[in-house]
Amino acid sequence: MIRGPVSRAVRGGLTRRRVQTIVIGLVLLISTGASVLALAIVVDSNAPFDHAFAAQHGADEVASIDSAKATAAQLAATSKLPVVTAASGPFAEVTVAADISATPGCTPGPGNPCLIGGSLPPMTLVGRATLGGQVDDLTLQSGHWATKPGQVVLDGSGSGPEVGLPLGARLVITSAPGKPTLTVVGIASSITGSAAGWVAPSEIFGLSPRGAPASAQMLYRFKAAGSSAELTADMAAVARALPVGAVSGSQSYLAAKAQESGNIAPFVPFLFAFGVIGMVMSVLIVANVVSSAVVAGYRRIGILKSIGFTPGQVLAAYTGQAAIPAVVGCLGGVLAGNLVAAPVLAQTASAYGVGALAVPVWVDVTVPGVMLCLVGAAAVLPALRAGRLSAVQAIATGRAPRTGRGHIAHRLLGRLALPRPVTIGLAAPFARPARTAVTLVAVLLGAATVTLAVGLSTSLNMVVTALSHAKAQPVQVFDPAGSGAGGGLVHIKGPGGPQPPAISPAAAQRAIEAALRAQPGTLHYVAEADQQVSVAGLSQQVPVTAFRGDASWTGYDMVTGHWYTGPGQVDVSAGFLTLTGDSVGGTITILSGSRQVTARIVGEVFQGGPQLITDWQTLAAVQPGLAANKFDLGLRPGTSEAAYIQGLQSRLGQQYPVVSNQRNSTVVDLMIGLIGTLTLLLTIVAGLGVLNTVVLHTRERVHDLGVFKAVGMTPRQTIAMVVCWVAGIGLIAGLIAVPAGIFLHGVVLPAMANAADVGLPSNLLNVYHPVEIAVLALAGLAIAVAGSLLPASWAAATRTASVLHAE
Amino acid sequence: MDALIQLSDVTKRYDAGGHPAVDRVSLTVAPGEAVAVMGPSGSGKSTLLNLIAGLDRPTSGTVTVAGQRIDTLSETGVARFRRQRIGMIFQFFNLLDDLTVADNVLLPAQLSGLRAAQARARTAELLAALRIDRHADAFPARLSGGERQRVAIARALVNRPVLLLADEPTGALDTATGEEIGELLRDLNSSGQTMVLVTHNPDLAARYARRTVHIVDGQVRSDVVIGSSTDLAGQVLP
Repeated sequence: MIRGPVSRAVRGGLTRRRVQTIVIGLVLLISTGASVLALAIVVDSNAPFDHAFAAQHGADEVASIDSAKATAAQLAATSKLPVVTAASGPFAEVTVAADISATPGCTPGPGNPCLIGGSLPPMTLVGRATLGGQVDDLTLQSGHWATKPGQVVLDGSGSGPEVGLPLGARLVITSAPGKPTLTVVGIASSITGSAAGWVAPSEIFGLSPRGAPASAQMLYRFKAAGSSAELTADMAAVARALPVGAVSGSQSYLAAKAQESGNIAPFVPFLFAFGVIGMVMSVLIVANVVSSAVVAGYRRIGILKSIGFTPGQVLAAYTGQAAIPAVVGCLGGVLAGNLVAAPVLAQTASAYGVGALAVPVWVDVTVPGVMLCLVGAAAVLPALRAGRLSAVQAIATGRAPRTGRGHIAHRLLGRLALPRPVTIGLAAPFARPARTAVTLVAVLLGAATVTLAVGLSTSLNMVVTALSHAKAQPVQVFDPAGSGAGGGLVHIKGPGGPQPPAISPAAAQRAIEAALRAQPGTLHYVAEADQQVSVAGLSQQVPVTAFRGDASWTGYDMVTGHWYTGPGQVDVSAGFLTLTGDSVGGTITILSGSRQVTARIVGEVFQGGPQLITDWQTLAAVQPGLAANKFDLGLRPGTSEAAYIQGLQSRLGQQYPVVSNQRNSTVVDLMIGLIGTLTLLLTIVAGLGVLNTVVLHTRERVHDLGVFKAVGMTPRQTIAMVVCWVAGIGLIAGLIAVPAGIFLHGVVLPAMANAADVGLPSNLLNVYHPVEIAVLALAGLAIAVAGSLLPASWAAATRTASVLHAE
Repeated sequence: MDALIQLSDVTKRYDAGGHPAVDRVSLTVAPGEAVAVMGPSGSGKSTLLNLIAGLDRPTSGTVTVAGQRIDTLSETGVARFRRQRIGMIFQFFNLLDDLTVADNVLLPAQLSGLRAAQARARTAELLAALRIDRHADAFPARLSGGERQRVAIARALVNRPVLLLADEPTGALDTATGEEIGELLRDLNSSGQTMVLVTHNPDLAARYARRTVHIVDGQVRSDVVIGSSTDLAGQVLP
């Protein structure tokens, strides 16, 4: 008597309410899938770094200390500060310039690459006796630690050009007196990239350029290091404990983490937003389905109780009707979430170099568990209410005519000069205010998702254009003889490499500029040099771009401040500001070899990663032989880009590639694709919510439908009426959803930018145009109409005679 | 005399191969007639009414009302035909609880696109004639059974249909109210309104219809005209 009747009642309920069963299953499938995907990416985008950081006792801050201003005792005392939990150092550090020695007697061939020489950009070397320590416990990847003079261990986890040099490679330190040679004896990794290489402490002083100030590195772990603000406060406490100016710079682990997270971190905010929206919608829709099933089934509940069902059995019967499709949907969602997550996680794994990443098992268990708990809670409350009703009360409630809710709405709307089926339909939601509210929220969330997705897609496309500057400089000319990024490094070369031009770099650049001036369609051009420089306080190299001539037209979006106007000024990216903790208005020291120049930060540009942009003279001050490696071209309006490229290429010859400035971004394409997919899924969920509401309404009003048809309502009028049951809700939801979606866009996009460590120009946020807003306002209506059309056509096809006969 | 209703060899089966609800029925109703269709429960009399109203389609045979083959009309066509030519009243009134009395009566006129002023005037006229005008703004749930059936009659008549179909119109009413409604229907017929009345109440049939058709197991067992003015007077079909 316990299991049999309940399972039969559940089976009966599932069979009779097939549409609702399918709706619950689909809603849970989509929501669980989206949540698994979102959570897996959130977890996997942080987990590898966090694990490695914990294992290596990573430094929260790597500080550069001016050794002339602080003594070893003063530095040691900073480890006792209340904010500091652990410290290592001081380790002497030096920024050097180095050349790679060619492999003697090596002939390049297939499978036999040779070191053919070349220059490394300036790199920071630190003198450390051991790789272990309280802070920044280095991991030796290959070889051994540098214990003798003439040995160096390189950082294998960085992104500099030294990465990839094999053991045994020899570096000539050209910036040091006597140009000593270091042999690579080991490859180690520092989770925060505290140095480009390490040598024995006794070695470091012999590597300092003549006259260069002595510098030391201190590594700190702090009590509170969860945010940039906390780290700034921590470093301020350290700086206060030392003589003024002793801390010449510092680099937080957050920058390293942001760099490690690479492309994947910006996925997290929007996936999180979409996951939460999906979860809320699921709960609302399931609660709506179950409570409506209970309300509609009062008579049946009464009958079940009259034949002996206990309240517990009624509870089990009605929660079972929701639980079975919910479990099936959740399992399907876990499977779908894993399938969709696989390519995204593969990209994460690639970013960390951690092999393969999969959806964590706990995510596969927790997400469906939480979803089922929410569904259970949504189902249990109305089922409990049903179980507590007496049999007579339930039957009487089921048979009772509807209450007078919605009469005023009918009366008022009936006075409108609209077709009667429309006004009857529009008034219907007022009879079921709770269900109407739930449906409105579901449609609102769906429509807000559409608004958010449109905004995000527009912004991301603008990001690609802004980062490539393709709009302002659609064509670029490359000069292979110019100073390329990394100092023209091609240090490992096989046979058949690029052939350098036969003329001198200066002559080549004069020829290019003459061709550009002569080419019809050239609006303006500017020579560009991309280099790597050191910045005081940073262990890593920073890319710098210098322009010769006016480059304010090149299309760099300003986040704050202004474009540089002369020598000694520099624009920087948010990544640089994060790395250094500087801000616009601050001053930085650019180093290259033994030269240095001071520049004031006058603006923040929208650019990925750490980046400096300055004028030619500023960079040439530290790199006197600076030559352009690229020319950026703006075209006159109406000029055909393809024809221009063809013409200029003919004029210049093949040794100077003329290319279209590409606007593609695989990551952004992936993001937009994912946003589109999730939006489609959530819109379907919203549509299913509408469908469910209309089906419930149709069931309840099946008799009225019969009457309407008996008095002459045509199928088209019936469809119009049923669609209007939810059209008003959709319209209102859409109108609310637009500001809600724009608000979400204003929250999610900056979070994505923050995750990507880029500042956000205001034009990327203000992407909604009035016409677009007007169209988006109809998204709720579109969802409502799409969700209601199917049940409306079912309603139109209802056999009037059978409905009325059922009376 | 042109027939208003012409059923020719009409059969209706709900299940293929099953027993027909209506079995090879042929029936003609002239304009102005009041015909009572009688029979025990499950005899097929309501199905016959539904076929005449176009609420259901015959499995075979033809149904012609007011010169229009309605069994071949589309759903839209039959809906339009019904609202213009047919009025229906039901045992349980089938009023719409959400709408006021006046709105219930107005509905068929609004669906057929009658001008608002005309529709309201016609509604007011009917409510007054049926003595329920004081309830125009009330909701059906507040009315008595008799009053609700009057509202249903008003709704059925608002588009001036040529045919009024009534399915057990007094079945849910007490005796006094039932007689009152019966009188009302007779008055309507006296004024020329053609009516087909489904009932299993012989008294109602005898008092308010001049012709009685008996259906048993889906077949017409007798078709009796009371009086002398028709060709079928006194004829009893086998």
